[in-house]
Amino acid sequence: MKKRLIAVALCCAINGAAYGADLRINGFASIVAGSTTDDNMSVFGYEDEISFSNESMFALQVSSDLGNGISATAQIVARGNEDYDAGFEWAYISYDINEHLRLSAGKMRLPLFRYSDFIEVGYAYRWVRPPTSVYSFASTTPTGMSLLYTSQLGQWDSSLQFVYGRYEGKASAITDSDDSTLNDITGFNWTMSRDWLTLRASYVVAETSISLNNSAPLVGLSGALQNYGLQEQLSQLVIDKDDGSFLGLGFAIDYNNFLLDGEYTEIEVDNSLLPEQSQYYISAGYRLEDWTFHVTYEENDDKHPSSRFNQVPTTITLANGSVVPVSTDPSNPNAPLIRDLMNGALNATRVNTNTMTIGARYDFHPSAAFKIDWSRLDNDVINQDNDVIAVAVDLVF
Amino acid sequence: MKNTIATCILLAASAHCAAEVSVIVHPSNGNALDKDSIAKIYLGKTKSFGDGTKVQAVGLNSGNVVDEFTSNVLGKSSSQYKAYWSKLIFTGKGTPPEGLDSEQAVLDFVAGNTDAIGYVDSGKVTGAVKVIGKF
Repeated sequence: MKKRLIAVALCCAINGAAYGADLRINGFASIVAGSTTDDNMSVFGYEDEISFSNESMFALQVSSDLGNGISATAQIVARGNEDYDAGFEWAYISYDINEHLRLSAGKMRLPLFRYSDFIEVGYAYRWVRPPTSVYSFASTTPTGMSLLYTSQLGQWDSSLQFVYGRYEGKASAITDSDDSTLNDITGFNWTMSRDWLTLRASYVVAETSISLNNSAPLVGLSGALQNYGLQEQLSQLVIDKDDGSFLGLGFAIDYNNFLLDGEYTEIEVDNSLLPEQSQYYISAGYRLEDWTFHVTYEENDDKHPSSRFNQVPTTITLANGSVVPVSTDPSNPNAPLIRDLMNGALNATRVNTNTMTIGARYDFHPSAAFKIDWSRLDNDVINQDNDVIAVAVDLVF
Repeated sequence: MKNTIATCILLAASAHCAAEVSVIVHPSNGNALDKDSIAKIYLGKTKSFGDGTKVQAVGLNSGNVVDEFTSNVLGKSSSQYKAYWSKLIFTGKGTPPEGLDSEQAVLDFVAGNTDAIGYVDSGKVTGAVKVIGKF
């Protein structure tokens, strides 16, 4: 009832008049405090000093049922690691064609992973954060449309979603913030559930472009390949209208308070600096009254196949017949070879980490949960490990 | 009745209170609903009664009756029920049954709407509504 009053008040404030539309306000929030135990590397955005803002966030959702199956929804999210600078994360209209078919258009989360859609709604899952090895770029919100088909197939609940859209914005690919464009994002995901078992498959393709401009060494390398007229090798480096694909397979079991879930994902952007990426996690849990205890193992393996290396020639023959080295400075015999720099760039994208997390969730209030997770991330490339301890309070309202 | 409440209060501190919940519809509603179909309505998996009428489901915001209903009919704790719906609400996949503030409000709503379904403590049921199941 209170929600209604606030809704009406807000409606009046915005429009100057109260409309009859059924306006709903919901929200969710997470206050997370965490720290690493060592200072050798940052993990999940944490350093070895306690941070309250890194993973904390606050969100409000306003939705209005306009009648005849049409509704409008906007979600405003403020994240601690962005100085609580609030922005529209979702803004879309939906039309219920019939009881089984819902067409939505606008700005929506790309439903790559099982938890993608509600990755920021901490209350909806047991961890402080879903396994980060898999959920690396889960919060992409393109603009486009989605068709959701829900039905019963015998004893199974089926939910099949098709998406089409475009994303233009920042991505954390080469550096923390690179200009990126995903064109013609096209995909589907299918979730089937029955009693205690849920199965999910997702496949999405997109024409992918990500700028290398924020990395001076890569800008230099591109320029050098360009100067030598090595167009083929240049196209192997830049991420410019390359075919990107995402495959995700997942399952979840919730049987007599025993929980088991896993997801496996593969990401590829052909002929580009981005390596072939494969990730998975497997997580077990047990519910005991208001407590949920869990343990999770995850792995992330990103690398280029060996065929991608040594593709840059070491020398080039000029029109006058002279042979010159392909290096940063052909007049200097000791200058680094472009081949080595290219191999280095490909190698630098190598990621091989595994993470172990144990944690607990306590539902201490009908709308709030307390969580504590302890994670150890082991980076096999640099041979370092570090621990993160985080406590969180997640709310929905 | 007083005894039940007293027992409930005593038990609520330590374990679940064993109140019985009645699922109610408008007296003119002729549809038969088993536990499974009621669960489907409250989980947003079915939006109509057997005869095709669109269903208006209401619940309660909080309290023992909610806990009893979610655990006896839906097989979930009220936190799990809330988590289930928060996944749908914040992803545009559904709107949960509206939560009313009191059992009286649920009784009034169901008595006044032919397409309504609700639940109250069995001890609170009146002649203005029809009970289709006790859990």
